[in-house]
Amino acid sequence: MTEHFTIPGVLTLVTAALAALLLVHHLLARPAITTATKVRLLFGLGVFPILTAALNTAEGMHRTTTREFCGSCHVMGDHLRDVENPDSLSLASRHGRNPHIGESNCYVCHANYGMMGYPLTKITGMKHVYYYYFGGYKDWPIEKAVAEIRMNEPYPNSNCMQCHSGKLESWRNVREHSALLEDLTSNKVACASAGCHGYSHPFSKKAREEKQAAR
Amino acid sequence: MMTRIAKLLSKWPSSKALLFACFTGLAALALMVAAILWPKPIIVVLGMSVAQGFGGIAFLLFLVSVAAEYRRDTGATSKP
Repeated sequence: MTEHFTIPGVLTLVTAALAALLLVHHLLARPAITTATKVRLLFGLGVFPILTAALNTAEGMHRTTTREFCGSCHVMGDHLRDVENPDSLSLASRHGRNPHIGESNCYVCHANYGMMGYPLTKITGMKHVYYYYFGGYKDWPIEKAVAEIRMNEPYPNSNCMQCHSGKLESWRNVREHSALLEDLTSNKVACASAGCHGYSHPFSKKAREEKQAAR
Repeated sequence: MMTRIAKLLSKWPSSKALLFACFTGLAALALMVAAILWPKPIIVVLGMSVAQGFGGIAFLLFLVSVAAEYRRDTGATSKP
């Protein structure tokens, strides 16, 4: 059971409880269909459940951006442990320690940038849920998952640059940035690579290399 | 078309439909509450999809039942 309740979360429980009370009353009392019964059911089947659904959606949208949620699938266990390790120097962990994005650092870094970023990220997330429950990932041992699960497409530098803006002077003053500007914007060179800022999840690269060497 | 709807409404079993709506509504609420209390991916997804479908069906049954009762009431009062 979750330990972190937000205001929409609590309100969801309150409105659901009110609706449930009215519905259970109707089921037990089985009153005649009078105006009073219709008004009670309007609240029990209409007003309160609609509020519950709206609040639950708001809470669900928020909840699905948290690190705790992303790490709740066991295949993400090593990623979660690395991010939460205060001694880890991986790019992901360093971002996880940033107080501005810490709790949502998986989402902040992996969400697509742009106007449609939010819905597109949620749709992609649905694919992850599908693969986990119906694509066999649920039964994979974590070692196999770390070595074999990879991103659908190369990580876009634009995601890094939504915070680390290339328009800032401090960014442009770095010689490597200005020299590689074109390659960075066209994604030919990755910010999160061995030669630049290091991998976000270096342990997964190591596991992949070990697996390939074993073959 | 309107005659068909009127016929359907006159035969609509409002009491049974409302009981079914209550059960469906409770199932929807249970799923939504579960998504808050146990936010595992599949439960959250069900809470934001299937639960809303159940809730929609329950509310629709309620609306049809109210329309059927209204139809019966007005039909009864308009008779000579």
